[in-house]
Parts: sequence; structure tokens; C-alpha cells
Amino acid sequence: MKSRFNNVKIKGIVTVLPQNRIDIDDEIGYFDNNQKKLDRAKKMVGFGSRYVVSENMTVVDMAQEAAEILIEELKEDKNTIDTLILVTQSPDYLYPASSCILHGRLGLGENCAAFDVGLGCSGYVYGLWLAHSLVSSGASKKVLLLAGDDASTHSCRENRISNPLFGDAASATLIEHTDEENTAYFVMGTRGSGWDKIVAPATGRRLPVREDISGLEITDNSGNKWHLYDEILKGIDVFNFTMEVAPQNMLEALEYSGKSIDDIDYFSIHQANKQIVDTIIAKSGIPKEKTTSEVFSKYGNNSTNSVATVVCDKLKDKTSNYIMLEAFGVGLSWGNAIVNISELNNLGIRFMKDKNLPSREDMIENWIKHFKGE
Amino acid sequence: MDRNEFLTQMQDILQTDEELSFDMNLDDLEEWDSLSKMATVAFLDSNFGVKTTFSDFESIKTIEDIAKKAGI
Repeated sequence: MKSRFNNVKIKGIVTVLPQNRIDIDDEIGYFDNNQKKLDRAKKMVGFGSRYVVSENMTVVDMAQEAAEILIEELKEDKNTIDTLILVTQSPDYLYPASSCILHGRLGLGENCAAFDVGLGCSGYVYGLWLAHSLVSSGASKKVLLLAGDDASTHSCRENRISNPLFGDAASATLIEHTDEENTAYFVMGTRGSGWDKIVAPATGRRLPVREDISGLEITDNSGNKWHLYDEILKGIDVFNFTMEVAPQNMLEALEYSGKSIDDIDYFSIHQANKQIVDTIIAKSGIPKEKTTSEVFSKYGNNSTNSVATVVCDKLKDKTSNYIMLEAFGVGLSWGNAIVNISELNNLGIRFMKDKNLPSREDMIENWIKHFKGE
Repeated sequence: MDRNEFLTQMQDILQTDEELSFDMNLDDLEEWDSLSKMATVAFLDSNFGVKTTFSDFESIKTIEDIAKKAGI
């Protein structure tokens, strides 16, 4: 589906990463302690460094930090934010929506709609699309878009297939009305028949974690350990899906906007891994100097936040007009945005200090008290 | 792409020091692992517009089999 919106601007953005850095050179165990294997993986997939949440830290904590930085540094009046959207596939609870928890933590006014959007890799573009629609229609005056994921926790650390790909991140973006026409273009799509190509099976209501699952550990032919609540990613199928959909999506969005590759100052492509991004770049014919596959090597695959991580890392302190965001993945779902960021306050990447968060034991004890009515 | 160039590209994909030939058994190569299989999928897609599925690898035994998929 295609849509365009006028009189909306993206006022500010910041991405927050946890400070806990993991370097692939320290993870040679993933490669049977074989330096040659590690070097091949670095060259082919682009493994480098990534930043992961510490124990007990979640997307909500990172998103709160990002929102607080953005509100403070843009000197926003909290009471003027009338919509809060959180895009994540890793909420704190099935209910209430984590956007409501964030609304409370941030101390926003009650004259404010808050809701979650449950998407991964394509999610940031969906959030941006919703925010544009709300502001352009007049339904909302100012949208705080929070987005993030903690995909490093979606498999166990010993799992060499999934775990080394992912880093964690969250962002805050402010979207509001402008008198300028400032047209934004979006082209989105879904292939629901491929829902099981990227899935974490025992994480919702269909297959709740009970005793028969909680201790279950599966070992595959390569010796990787899996649990039913881990993420399954069917690499070759997802690669083929991506190559079929992403370059085409980019082309369609260019056509729809009436713009050429020359009119776009930068292309932010979801950093699934370096190999995937490089293949998309080659197939779509965009110039290498206007895009990157290196952000994957710096921060890993940031899932929901990936395209925002690229914007914050590569475009801070640069003047850009129209840029393209191309995001694709779990769903299967994809989205493309062509937006003008000439008025964007790009606060870049910030690192978050570990907070004193309640431990697992504290939380369990606390909830027991609640159930007992104490 | 001619067959010589194809072999050079396979050398790069496998990143192996062994001298490659079209009829050698891929399973004898330590480097024929999930990394180089993904790189093969990407190589066939980018250069020949050919899609490879997971099950295709059951019947790919030699570099000749990969060349056949590429149509060269």
C-alpha cells in the first residue's frame, strides 16, 4: 500500500544503546576457537561489535532514557505530547501495553493517547507512517515515537547461529505539524504466509511457557542449544524474501514519490547483516557513498531500531534533505519511507549507563505480595 | 561470467587455500559450512538471478552442481 502525507516534520531523534559492548574477537568460542573461521565470518557477515542490555534491563528502560534525552534537549513541554507510540516486539508484559508504562514513567499529561505496535525489523517505518498519518490528519499535534528491541536476549548466549547477529537499541523521535508542505511518502507490505520464517514460538498466548517447556533444551546438529522461547530464523528463506522484496520496495517508493536516486541524499537500509545489505545495494543500484552496510559491524542488527540507528550514526551533524528508510523482516513485513529531514535535530547515538533495576528475585517477591493481597 | 572466473569467485566464497576444481567433492572441504552456503545463495542471486532453497543443498555435491544452477 502507498500513502503520502503533507505538513508533517520530524523534529528530533536520538538512539540509545546499552553501554555493555561485546566484540566478536572475544567470542571466538562461537567459531570453535578457530581464528580462520572467525576471520571468514567477519569478512562474510560483517561481524564486529554490538551493545547488549544488562541483566534485567529491557526496551522500556532504553526507550525511557531516549525519550528523556529528547524531551530535555529539545526543551519540549511534556504536556504538548498528545500521542505516544511504542514500536517493539519485546514488551515488558503482554498487558498492559508498555507504552502506558512509559507514559507513566515519563510523566506525560493524561490528554494523550498511548499504544504499542508489535513489529520488529520493519517497525520503525510503520511507527513513522502512523505518526505522519496522525499529524497530517489533525488527529494529533505532536507524536512521541519510541522504538526498540532487545534481540540479543531472544536466544541464549551459547547459540552461535542467532546470538552474535544482534545488538540492542531504542530511539525516540518527535513528529509534529509544519506549515511547509514537506510531503512524506510511504510504501508498505506484508506477507503473512511467511509468519513462521522468523518466530519465537513460546512467547505469547498460543504456547505459554509451562513446566513441559521451561526446562526443555534442544541441541541441533551443530551443537547449538535452543529453547522453545528462542527465536527461529530461517536464513535462506529470509534471504530470498529480502532479495525479492527490498530492492523492489525501494524502486516502487522512488516511482511513487516521483524522485530519482539523485534526489535522495541518503539510503538507510535495515542492517540485517553486512552480506544482506551489500546484496541489496548491488541489486538496487544505489551509489555506495550514499548508504552503508558498516553500521551492522559497529552495532549489530538492531531489529526494530536498525534504520533509526543508521540515521543517528551516519547523519548526525550532516545536512540532508530527502532520505529513504528501507526496512524488512519478521512478519514477514516491510516498509519504505521517503522523508525530508532538513529540520531534524539529530542528537545521534547515546550510551546508557546501567541503572539500578529490580532483580528477578525482587520482582518475583514483589508479585507474590501482590497476589497475596499484602 | 566464464567458467574460470566462476571458479575464482567460488575460491573467494569458500576462502580456502585448496585449489578448487569443478568436480571436487564440496563435503570434503572444511569451509563448506553454513557461512559459505549463505554466500553461495547471495552469489547466485546477485550474479545470475537464481534462487536457491535450503533443500537445494542436499543435491549440491560439487562446484559443477553450483555452476549448473547458475547456467554456465
